[in-house]
Amino acid sequence: MSDIVLELQNVSRIFGEGDAQVKALDDVSLSIRRGEFVLIVGSSGSGKSTLLNMIGLLDKPTSGKVILDGKETTTLNDGQVSQYRNEKLGFVFQFANLLPDLTVLENVMLPQQIQGSPEDIRQNAIDLLIKVGLEDQINKRSNKISGGQAQRAAIARGLVNRPTIVLADEPTGNLDSVTAGKIVKLAKTMAKELNQTFIIVTHDRHQFPDVDRVITIKDGKAFSGEETTMEITA
Amino acid sequence: MDYRVNLAARMLANKRGSLIGAVLAVSIGILVIHVNFVIFQGIYDAIIRDMTEYRFGDIFVSHEEEATIERSHVVYTNWFERVPLVKSATPRLSGSADIEFRSMGKFNEEFDVPVVGVEPVSDILASKIHTTINEGQYVYARNSIVVGETVAEDLGGVRVGDNLKLIMTNQGGEEVSKRFVVTGISKTAGGQGFDTSVIIHIDSLRSMLDRPDESNSIFVKLNEKNPEAAIDIRKQFLAAYANDDLKAQTIEESAEATLKGFRSGIAMINLIGYFGMGSSAFAIVTIQMMLVNSKTREIGVMRAIGAKRKDILMVFILQGMIIGAIGAGAGTGIGLAYTTYAKETNMQFQGSLALEVNYNWPKIAETALLAFFLAMLAAIYPSYRATKLQPVEAMRNV
Repeated sequence: MSDIVLELQNVSRIFGEGDAQVKALDDVSLSIRRGEFVLIVGSSGSGKSTLLNMIGLLDKPTSGKVILDGKETTTLNDGQVSQYRNEKLGFVFQFANLLPDLTVLENVMLPQQIQGSPEDIRQNAIDLLIKVGLEDQINKRSNKISGGQAQRAAIARGLVNRPTIVLADEPTGNLDSVTAGKIVKLAKTMAKELNQTFIIVTHDRHQFPDVDRVITIKDGKAFSGEETTMEITA
Repeated sequence: MDYRVNLAARMLANKRGSLIGAVLAVSIGILVIHVNFVIFQGIYDAIIRDMTEYRFGDIFVSHEEEATIERSHVVYTNWFERVPLVKSATPRLSGSADIEFRSMGKFNEEFDVPVVGVEPVSDILASKIHTTINEGQYVYARNSIVVGETVAEDLGGVRVGDNLKLIMTNQGGEEVSKRFVVTGISKTAGGQGFDTSVIIHIDSLRSMLDRPDESNSIFVKLNEKNPEAAIDIRKQFLAAYANDDLKAQTIEESAEATLKGFRSGIAMINLIGYFGMGSSAFAIVTIQMMLVNSKTREIGVMRAIGAKRKDILMVFILQGMIIGAIGAGAGTGIGLAYTTYAKETNMQFQGSLALEVNYNWPKIAETALLAFFLAMLAAIYPSYRATKLQPVEAMRNV
């Protein structure tokens, strides 16, 4: 099995037409290895969210290829993309985005239920909730827990399908610094324990002092390293 | 439980206002049909009931061409009474008379009042007109007369025990008169009986009209309501007396002229009810569109974590099914409660005839199922719209 789990080849994303065209991503090429803990940083409007949408198969590039776990994804149809997202990706959003109508446990079970997994879905979810320290919150409605707890549950949901990559979009952006620190620590612990690839998008580099790699997005282009030392092409 | 069912139910439960609104829309559609059915079908059935019990029986025999049957009724009534399903058969003869009445020195006169001649013994068995006597008793002797309440009022307030003079023209063209003692006043709800007639012994009427043994009709009552048996018995009777030029009709046939208009009215009212149910489907479409719009974020998250379009479609169609099931259940429950109330209280409106209320189970089930399927159909468009949300667009709200 290849060590590369994600590869972007000359990916561009253009919004609008004619004079109103905006090039959100400009010929981005990068690759991520299994088990890496990668930080994508960039200022607001730099194109990092667009890049995340490409990696997360939520949007398709105008040109270029997104190869996830060895498979070129830009040619997949909507159903195949959904299935691929479900099997290969785990998402952690800025506001956790648990479904408020479900309990914490039901939220964590959801990706496996969508997959129709034959495993013991409930026990898997409970095990993960124990790992993220939410064993006493499992039957609470997800809108009745704190922001930090919700983000922990979101990490558990992101991990429950044992995805190839966990994508986290500003996972600490909505938390106070103490809670944010705990979430970062948790993500690092889970990544190490499960040999899980994490790609974290953030504008706040300092929340994540200890990462394997940093990719900086600026004006739609990707650079390896931080802004002060960055080299084109990550 | 499938996660889509769970999610659909939870989303609805947490949007109680929308759920209640949609359920009410379905319930009210069903309730309108139930109320329509109880009232209008109830009136229709009540009219058939009263016509069966007072005027036509289950089988009504008359002459094909002539106004009267000349052959003695005994031949026919005996034939009918040998049939085990027949309760009784009785002859009737009708005519019209001018009626004179003096009360406390005041002379009252009514012209061309319908007169019904009955044979009291068999009539009491066959018809229920005797039960409409709300004062006094039924015809029991040749000089006794039962006066319909309207006639009694028109004559200035006839009471039991009063003396009336009937003046008729017999078939020879001669004017004949006879005095009668009022034994009863007849009143029926809605005037479906003989409120505008008088009832006398058939032999008295035959004698006055100079029509010995003649009758206009034979009123046949079965032991229980059985339209198929009525048709069979009618056929056998007509075959037995094929040369007598008789006409034998079931209640539906004999009352056809009266009921035809009602049937169109009921069809129209039912159409309005179904239109109301259709309108409730539009309400569901609107409410579900609001639900979809309020759940954009959740749809985006679900799509992001791998839900396919068909999963999203299923969640919202399931919501339509839940709304349909609860609405159909509630509407049917309330409708049945109303039907039971109407039946138990012999519902009537301002003294009109009491509704004949029946539980029409096939129609009740059909209405509930129709409402359920309408709610499900109404959910299709909002569900389809939900599936059209691209995750990246939905996620912009995230």
